[in-house]
Amino acid sequence: MTAVVVGASSGLGRALANELARCGHALLLVASDLRDIDAIAADLRIRHGATVRSLALDLAREADPGARVAAALEGLPPLASVLLPVGLSRADDDFGLDAARIGELLAINLHAPFAIAHALLPRLREARGVIVLFSSIAAVRGRGRNVVYAAAKRGIESLYESLRQRHRETELRVQLYRLGFLATNLTHGLALPMPAAAPDDVARLVVERLRRGSARWYLPRRFALVAMVVRLLPWPLFRRMQS
Amino acid sequence: MRGYAVAETELSSFDRQFHARCALQRPDRYRLLDALPADAPRIARGGGVSYVGASFGGGAISQSLDAFDRLLAFDAEHGRLTVEAGARIGDLQRFLLERGWYLPVAPGHPRASVGGCIAADVHGKNPARDGTFRTWLDALVVQRPHAEPCVVDREHDADLFGATCAGFGLTGTIVSATLRLARPPRALVLRRVPVANLAEAARVLREAANAPVLYGWHDGGAAHFGRGVVNIGLASGDDHDRADALPPAAADLPARVAPLPFTAWNRAGLTAANRWLDWRWCRAGQAPMTLGDALFPLNRARLYFAGFGHAGMAEAQWLVPHPRFEAFANALADLVARTRPRIALIASKLFAGTADGFSFDGNGVALAIQVATPAAHGERAFLDALAELAIAHDGRPNLIKDSTLEASVARRAIDGFEAARARLARHDPQRLHTSELARRLAL
Repeated sequence: MTAVVVGASSGLGRALANELARCGHALLLVASDLRDIDAIAADLRIRHGATVRSLALDLAREADPGARVAAALEGLPPLASVLLPVGLSRADDDFGLDAARIGELLAINLHAPFAIAHALLPRLREARGVIVLFSSIAAVRGRGRNVVYAAAKRGIESLYESLRQRHRETELRVQLYRLGFLATNLTHGLALPMPAAAPDDVARLVVERLRRGSARWYLPRRFALVAMVVRLLPWPLFRRMQS
Repeated sequence: MRGYAVAETELSSFDRQFHARCALQRPDRYRLLDALPADAPRIARGGGVSYVGASFGGGAISQSLDAFDRLLAFDAEHGRLTVEAGARIGDLQRFLLERGWYLPVAPGHPRASVGGCIAADVHGKNPARDGTFRTWLDALVVQRPHAEPCVVDREHDADLFGATCAGFGLTGTIVSATLRLARPPRALVLRRVPVANLAEAARVLREAANAPVLYGWHDGGAAHFGRGVVNIGLASGDDHDRADALPPAAADLPARVAPLPFTAWNRAGLTAANRWLDWRWCRAGQAPMTLGDALFPLNRARLYFAGFGHAGMAEAQWLVPHPRFEAFANALADLVARTRPRIALIASKLFAGTADGFSFDGNGVALAIQVATPAAHGERAFLDALAELAIAHDGRPNLIKDSTLEASVARRAIDGFEAARARLARHDPQRLHTSELARRLAL
């Protein structure tokens, strides 16, 4: 069976690609730069003997990413899972972005997962497949930083709810992960209030749970408590935290 | 620095002699690798396990190649592997041994990267038989700032190929390499030959020049200076001696060994350790040897390195031509008797190659001398005197090992130093690639 990983060139996406190949899945890897995904594809073929296809897509500019992904699946084994760990955040996403940059963030974080999920739904339903969506701890409560990013991730949570509301568990499974800090180049050098999780560890859990039904999880799990505290903080206190 | 995955961090050399707060970039995609401003000084960083500050310092941004560790092509029939430069040697050996191949030249630290091995042109367990890392290197890809990657080998841009091997990362960032592989010995036995001194060790080494594993260990204390054992690893046909498996990555020596809060290798500690090693190993004998022990002896040396404490250690490594070696060894014994430095270990190896540029190669016997608390007055004086002694005997230093070496000494000790330096400059005229090593030795 084939798994699609969108955002496969680095961080959690790359870790997921590796774990899926190790577990014997055929793969379609999607990322913006062919140099990266070709290197990953070669590595997975050599190490795991996996069937891997690469697709370079600039999600910030691609009008119909879903159609491109669907077309690239031709000839691969039936589609069983779509994982969408794609994401882009910016340090200046604090009401300092112009319209073009806002559009870019929304295209990558929101439009692309929506479009790809829509395009692949028929194939997934045929195989009672699974869509795996990734939100962020940043989406728990809107703050003065990661403004567009958090809003897009809130949109992903809405997509999760809509998919579950529309499709019975017997025809499509939908999984959502709210991710805390991961040790990727996005957190490199940041003074984090909590230790960052290794993408490989997170990927192992995500792939293990692919066979399960629809559900929503926090990873690492301690972020469930963090989210609850952030949500319950009285407004005057929460507002003070923004400064 | 926004958008480049750069952050300030504290880095130190493996020998603990150089620490610096510097900018460390962790690119995880190709476009980030070439995203720094065109005039930003930079240096590639592999495993970060060099004894000297070869991958940081000198005002450069360290570019970690951790994410560039992918296998790009593997010819299991003819034994060729193309791999990104950040791949760790230990990981590669594990992968290859499972498929009936291995890299015959590998440094002692399994976390050294392929790029680091090329940039240092490291030697392995018997350089006289297997040469240095470049011997097994067919081609490499070098990325220079805001330029297309250069694919070079011995025919295409041989000058850049030659300058990059033992070029300490100063010609550009090594992105990937194609390596020739060898069939590993099915089994190994380790034959131990006790020796009374370094001159005798040199004779034993020369007689066993074709062994897959060949090195000596010697007492560095004044009382028994040079006494030790030459370890000769020989291929064995006996299935009981199966050697072709490596322990998992978790058993690899870490890139940073946490030091003990005190220096265990003071005079009393060193004397006790030497007596124990003498009792344990300096007897004639033969025993099966695992390839893991043969390839990565440092995996068993965690406590040894921790024992240097916060003061760390320094390793002077000199290759002395055969005709001068006995006189050098005798003069060294006299020097040690006079100055009584805290020598933790002396290792001897045989070389039979030709030096090129800054590489550590030649035809002779190399001594690696590890000294505790090298900043102490007595030890520093010994290391200076050792350098003079080695130069007087036509010795050649290993620049990538010795953090105490000064530019003036390196210039006198290496024939063609200026030519090698000029060759580096030809390939990086703006000197954008730099490091503490490059600064200290004025490379």
